[in-house]
Amino acid sequence: MNEFMEKKVKLKWYEPKQTYDVIIIGGGGHGLSTAYHLATRHDITNVAVLERKYIGGGNSGRNTTVIRANYGIPEAVKFYQRSVELYQRLEEETDRWMMHKQKGILWMAHTEAHVRQEKARAEVNTAFGAKTIYVTPKEINEIAPEVDLTGGGKWPVLGASYHPEAATARHDRVNWALAEGANKRGVYIHQRTEVIDLLKEGNRVIGVMTNHGPMYAKTVMSAVGGHVTRIARMAGIRLPIRTHPLQAYVTNHYELEFDPIVASTSLLFYVSQTARGEMLIGAEIDRQPSYNYRAGHHLIQTCSFRAITLLPFLRHLRILRQWTGVCDMSPDYSPIMGFTPVEGFVITTGWGTWGFKAIPVGGEQMAELIATGRTPDLIAPFALDRFKKDRTKADRGSAGTH
Amino acid sequence: MRIIVDGKPIPAERGETVLVAMLKADQHPTGGGCLCLAGDCPHCLATVDGVSYVRTCQTRAKPGMVIERHHRNGQYPPLPTADRLHEEVKARNIHCDVVVIGQGEAGRAAAAAAEGKHVVTVDAAAGQEAIAIYAGPRVVVRTDREMLYLHPQEEIVVATGAAEIQPVAPGAELAGLLTSRAAEVLAAAGIDLGRVVAFGTPPQNIDAELLQGEIVRFEGENRVEAIVMRDANGVENRHKCDTVALGLGFHPRDALALMGHGLPVRTVGDAALEADVPSCPAAGIVCACSGVSVDDLNYTWESGFREMELIKRSTLAGTGTCQGMGCLPYLRSFIQEKGGELQPRFTARPVNRQLTMGEIAAGAHHHAMARTALDEVHRQLGANMERSGGWWRPWNYGKLQEEYWAVREGVSIMDVSTLGKMIISGPDALEFLERIYPTHVRTIRPGRTRYALLLNERGYVMDDGLIGKENDTRFTITLTSGGTSHSEMWLRDWARGWGLDVRILNQTYTLGAINVTGPLARTLLEQAGMSEPLKFMRFRDQEIAGVSCRVFRLSFTGEESYELHHPAEDSVKLWRALMELGADLGIKPHGLEALVMLRLEKGHIIVGQDTDYDSTPRRIHHEWMVKPEKEFFLGRTSMMRTGRIELDKMLVGFEVAEGVPQEGAVVWHDEEYAGYLTSAAWSPVLQKGIALGWLYYQDGELPTDVTINGQPARRVDLPFYDKEAARARA
Repeated sequence: MNEFMEKKVKLKWYEPKQTYDVIIIGGGGHGLSTAYHLATRHDITNVAVLERKYIGGGNSGRNTTVIRANYGIPEAVKFYQRSVELYQRLEEETDRWMMHKQKGILWMAHTEAHVRQEKARAEVNTAFGAKTIYVTPKEINEIAPEVDLTGGGKWPVLGASYHPEAATARHDRVNWALAEGANKRGVYIHQRTEVIDLLKEGNRVIGVMTNHGPMYAKTVMSAVGGHVTRIARMAGIRLPIRTHPLQAYVTNHYELEFDPIVASTSLLFYVSQTARGEMLIGAEIDRQPSYNYRAGHHLIQTCSFRAITLLPFLRHLRILRQWTGVCDMSPDYSPIMGFTPVEGFVITTGWGTWGFKAIPVGGEQMAELIATGRTPDLIAPFALDRFKKDRTKADRGSAGTH
Repeated sequence: MRIIVDGKPIPAERGETVLVAMLKADQHPTGGGCLCLAGDCPHCLATVDGVSYVRTCQTRAKPGMVIERHHRNGQYPPLPTADRLHEEVKARNIHCDVVVIGQGEAGRAAAAAAEGKHVVTVDAAAGQEAIAIYAGPRVVVRTDREMLYLHPQEEIVVATGAAEIQPVAPGAELAGLLTSRAAEVLAAAGIDLGRVVAFGTPPQNIDAELLQGEIVRFEGENRVEAIVMRDANGVENRHKCDTVALGLGFHPRDALALMGHGLPVRTVGDAALEADVPSCPAAGIVCACSGVSVDDLNYTWESGFREMELIKRSTLAGTGTCQGMGCLPYLRSFIQEKGGELQPRFTARPVNRQLTMGEIAAGAHHHAMARTALDEVHRQLGANMERSGGWWRPWNYGKLQEEYWAVREGVSIMDVSTLGKMIISGPDALEFLERIYPTHVRTIRPGRTRYALLLNERGYVMDDGLIGKENDTRFTITLTSGGTSHSEMWLRDWARGWGLDVRILNQTYTLGAINVTGPLARTLLEQAGMSEPLKFMRFRDQEIAGVSCRVFRLSFTGEESYELHHPAEDSVKLWRALMELGADLGIKPHGLEALVMLRLEKGHIIVGQDTDYDSTPRRIHHEWMVKPEKEFFLGRTSMMRTGRIELDKMLVGFEVAEGVPQEGAVVWHDEEYAGYLTSAAWSPVLQKGIALGWLYYQDGELPTDVTINGQPARRVDLPFYDKEAARARA
């Protein structure tokens, strides 16, 4: 019965060394993906991934696993479209099953303002290579007959954007496949290894101090989620990041009958059915910045209320578990990737509520940056100095959503 | 009474649980597995009246109740249909001093000890299932009739007892296996258990053979027929039986206490016990929910998954309905045996006992949209109402063209009560506004208004509106409909932070506002009692049609316009009077749809639609209203810094050759990305498609000829219509 157990991935653990070429802080999706791409694309394997707890234990194992590219600005559409395509190939490349499934996402519009927003989304997506169309209520009914187009008589659906390439994958399996792929090529992964401080020489980071002692490297990358501002401060950098909790919950397992991902900006929720048959539901970030992982009543109460407004069948499903992650929000809702004013120290952060979907491309690009010493074009718009240069990448297509 | 199991009626007695009724009828809800009768194990789950994953041992039978078994044909239960009848679940809030969860011995003692205080007790056995402790603290309790939200002032006592440990051995999925306590309960219920053998702590008041040694396996077809034990010498003995009663130790039910970490929660009785760690099993199913065997655990351990959380995630043990109540003791003993370390348990999360989304939603408030005092009037006029900026507003009255032309050629009115309207008063009012706004507030003369932007600390546009001055200690300001609630917080935060002596009075809901606009607006107002002309960008208190108004002359539509602010209770009277007086002038009300066209022709921006998170005044051609010579205003520091950086893009106007481009359409120049549209419409008066949008500089210059939606388009100066603004100032 347990066909969903991981049966292929093998991980090996080694004692830490003193020096590496690259140290990656954070054994989540982005850290592991960078290590994987360093090893597979650039033959750089003298790499250590340091993880405070266990790999994939932060947001990489807490997210709602949506993969999509229907963003609001050209730079983001191109970036995430690359990720959508890399995800489509990742199972074959790693020979590991990630439960990757193309589902399509419907983003409901209930007001004229949101109709405009969803039409605009389709415009910019189409122009930059992501497939998104605007669909009418009749077409929505064909794609997702479960949707109550009257919105419970209160929030009628006027239309939606439909992004057929949106997919989901099992987050843990993505993390493990990348960890294994890096690991078997020689990358070290050290769990329960917490970075206490960064070791600096002048304006250069030369290594890290951990609970297992010092480790040195030419390049240190922070791929930390949640506490990134604390790591950056160790380097002497103040990041424009605020950390907010984000909650989600799942129901018990049901037959696989609900195909698409459904989201609504007005009703502020999104839902999909996992490969294991759970209905997975999320909403927006908590307004108050916090590192708190406590789950809240207000979220699950109001989100359920809104979700059953649009999808009445959800009313009768029994809830299994509610949990929380902490999201690093940048002021413009776009990621921050690349070099920092401190030599030898690069970062990938600002992954807010959209980190999972960027794991393959984020790792690919950061690996190229580390290997070549120059910023790849695809992520140049997301450099940290954009805030100083007044070249922020305001993206309403990602704001406060999954 | 009868209940219906898989389409067939079986008898049930009043007060009996569904599970006991089924067992009496020789039916096992899931076919087998060691039943606990205490809501801990996953072996009695079924679909009850359309809701799946219900623990039948916790559910009292009701006449006609429909039970369907899960996992028929190895499938999960189907998703329920949408149209199943339902009643809204009610919620009740109870404020008290102490909440005691669990009414066993320890729970009763805790309740008794709190005598004199307002104590609320809940007990799963009485059908009150505590599903979570949240911050507040708040205890959420599910019952069959309603949801209870308990708000204790002092403390929460968790007295939920302990769960009996499940057996792990081949054959443990057979029927006829019971925990010791379950055996006691079933015997007391009058169920014939047949020949009973017991292991560990035996059940009381039951004639059972107590076995020694260790369990090797359970044997039988569907129901247990024998248990095979191994003695100290390694010899296996087979014991025939009809029922096995297992007292394997206890695992505290402390999930609620763990959830309440950091809150005033006290755990008493068995729930506070150290968890027993059973011996590491050699074979069998460890996690019945996900079907994880000892072999699976061995495999995953050898594959390198050695942290409790990784083992849970890789095997999925503990991720099912019982959330680890069955498997967690064994996962711990397994990891201890393999790695020599007793690892912590996985995190306790809501929900502790299960409930439906319909139940958890109980008591949630519908996010209602505000309605203006004229809402009913609009609906009577046949308006298509639309949610906009947190309000219900007329989108149109079904006659867009007529509404538009009434503004351009005659006279029209619009309900603009949704505008943010604030009085800023007090000795420091002027100083306060000088710091808030980038414009010179002190140069505004009494009785006059000025259009101004609100900037955030980063120097980006946050809101816009008017500043009207009565005197140095009293101003009226307006804000956008959608931005007001945020801007109000913004104003109050800064007033407090700066320690200035100002009062902020939000009159948005108490004042109505009607905009009278069009070349005949003045004629109408004269008929309505406006005694003398009012100059552009001035205001005056004046009675109009018998209603005291503050009249602001301004213009968003491009025509001569008068905004009449008045007590909201007089809105209907004022509206009707204007409509009546204007009948001869051909007056027609207009909605938002016409307004957005009218203002677009004038190039007037809508903050939030045409602006983005990075819109500086410079990028939207509004530099003229920012006075950098002022020593301080919010956003000045950032603006001065970014002001030295070369511009990358501007909000500009476009005219397209044919048709109307899509709002949001991409702007191309020489096949390169050059920007996108924020607003677009067909201009009836200009007879062409016009748009506002962001245009990027290319090689230091703003392109002129571009392509939008495949059509040639041209950047043009704003506004599109009435460039001299002669009409508004007439």
